[in-house]
This record gives sequence, structure tokens and C-alpha cells, in this order.
Amino acid sequence: MPRNRRPSKQMLTLLEALAARAQHWRHGYDLMKETGLSSGTLYPLLLRMTEQGLIEAEWREPAQPGRPARHTYRLTNAGIALARAAERPVAVPVSKVAIA
Amino acid sequence: MRLALSKAMMSLAMGCLGESRREWAFAMQGEFEAAVEEGRPLAFATGCLMAAWREMPRHPEGRLALTSHALALGLLIPMAALQFACAIGFPSAPQGSGLIHGMLAAGWTQAPYLVSAQQSAVPALLFLRLLLGAGQLRLAWVLLERDWAQAFNIGALIAAVMVTLFLFMEVLFLNGLVLILQVAVLAIELSAVLVAARSHAQLSLDAAPEILA
Repeated sequence: MPRNRRPSKQMLTLLEALAARAQHWRHGYDLMKETGLSSGTLYPLLLRMTEQGLIEAEWREPAQPGRPARHTYRLTNAGIALARAAERPVAVPVSKVAIA
Repeated sequence: MRLALSKAMMSLAMGCLGESRREWAFAMQGEFEAAVEEGRPLAFATGCLMAAWREMPRHPEGRLALTSHALALGLLIPMAALQFACAIGFPSAPQGSGLIHGMLAAGWTQAPYLVSAQQSAVPALLFLRLLLGAGQLRLAWVLLERDWAQAFNIGALIAAVMVTLFLFMEVLFLNGLVLILQVAVLAIELSAVLVAARSHAQLSLDAAPEILA
């Protein structure tokens, strides 16, 4: 049974950063720099949000040969809906938006 | 030096994440290159390692790794130390744990006519105790390596040595009852190793369809 939890402060920060350019695929390190979150906070958050269906992830070929492929992220429709709801004064629980 | 340390931490983080989180481990590894270019590899790697450790109790493979380490560090190694203490006769060995000098002294009081027989048995008793200690140390090692075939062989050897020690002590009219607590702990150890082996086999079975796919 999904838990009705309000998004954490870090999650709201990440949602805001991703929602600013919702259609763009973003790299993890760029998100770290933009949000100020550490890698130890960002990656578990990205993992949970992907499992909740708020974020979709995709592998991208490296820009330079010999470099590893990079994971990119963007909000799903549920993620965009949650980000919009989070901008309003009354926050909507994550699970309700994810189910919607 | 900083870069080498950061790379080592990233490798450790990737190992801690396990198969079920392999994709995320590679995602972190991919971004590590960006962190190196920005001159912040250590901070990035530290964060990844902390995240991987926090993630461990949340997936079955991580839970198995934590349980194996707890079993090895919390039970097998202390039991091995106790066997060595009993054999060598460290003063810190707990009373009633089967300290060989103490057992012999008690045996000599109760059955003085067996003193020479008991004295001649000392090397064998010492050897059995040291074998028990070494066996438990080796069991801890193979448990962490997840070499279950070796673990079962060593478990059988430890059980056989414990039975031999008990019989040997009874034949020599030494108080073998002091071993009862150790036998109980040994039974717990071997049961825990069996449970860990079964959990690992189950994890491998669960992972097999994903690998085939």
C-alpha cells in the first residue's frame, strides 16, 4: 500500500529544477550543481522518484569517445503534475499524483 | 592520491549497490567522470558511497551482505578467538569456557590416578581447540566469499572436531559439559550459514530470469 507522504524539501528542490525545463533530459551532475544537493542525496532521490513513476531515465551515448554512457532524467506527466501541485500552497501527496 | 581514493570509493559504492541496482551504479559511475573534470571527485564519490550504504538494507542482496558480515564479525570471529584463548590459556578467557589448564587441574583433583593419561592428552586437546578456532576463522572467510561448498565442508569439519573433543574429554574423565554452551553457539552458527546459503541461492534463482532475458 503506497504511503501518503508530503514531498521532502530536497524532493521539492529537485522537482523545481526538473520542472523548469520539463521536456529536457538532464544529467545527474548538472542537477547536483543546480540544486546544490550532494550525490548522496540526489541519487537515492532520483531512484525513489523513478520507482514512483515521477521521473523517467534514459541512457545517452557519451559526447566524447572513451567516456562512459550517461544517465539522463526528466519528469513524467505524474512528475509534472506533482511539481505543479507543489507550487500551490496545499501540497498533494506523492502517491495520489503517481497513481493519477 | 585523491583521484585514486575517489575511484576506490566509487568501486566500493558500485559493489555495495549489488545486481538489483546495477543500472544506478553505472549511472553514478558515468557522472563520476563529470565530477573529475570539475575537480570534485572525492566529494562526489563520498556521497555515492554513503548513498550505496544507506541503500543496502533496502535490497535483498544488500541485506544478505550485511547479515553475512554481522555473522562473521559478531559470532564466528569471537568464537574463534574464544577457542584460541581456551587453547593458549589467556587469562581473559571466561571461566567455565573449557580453558584447558583449568579443566586439567580440576581433572587431577577428581581423578589423581589419571594424571599421566590426561597430561599426555594435552597436545591432542590443544590441537583440537586450535583446529576449532582456525575452522571458524576460515568459515568466516568463505561465508563472506559466498563459497558455500567450502562453507559446508568446514562446517562439517568443525562439527566433527567438536564431537571428537567432547568424546575425548569424556574418555579422559574431564568435564565435557563445559562445551555445551559452545555446542549451542556452534549450532546457531551453522544454522545461520545454512540460512545465508539458501538466501543466496534464492537470490540467484530470482536473478536468473533477468539475466536470461
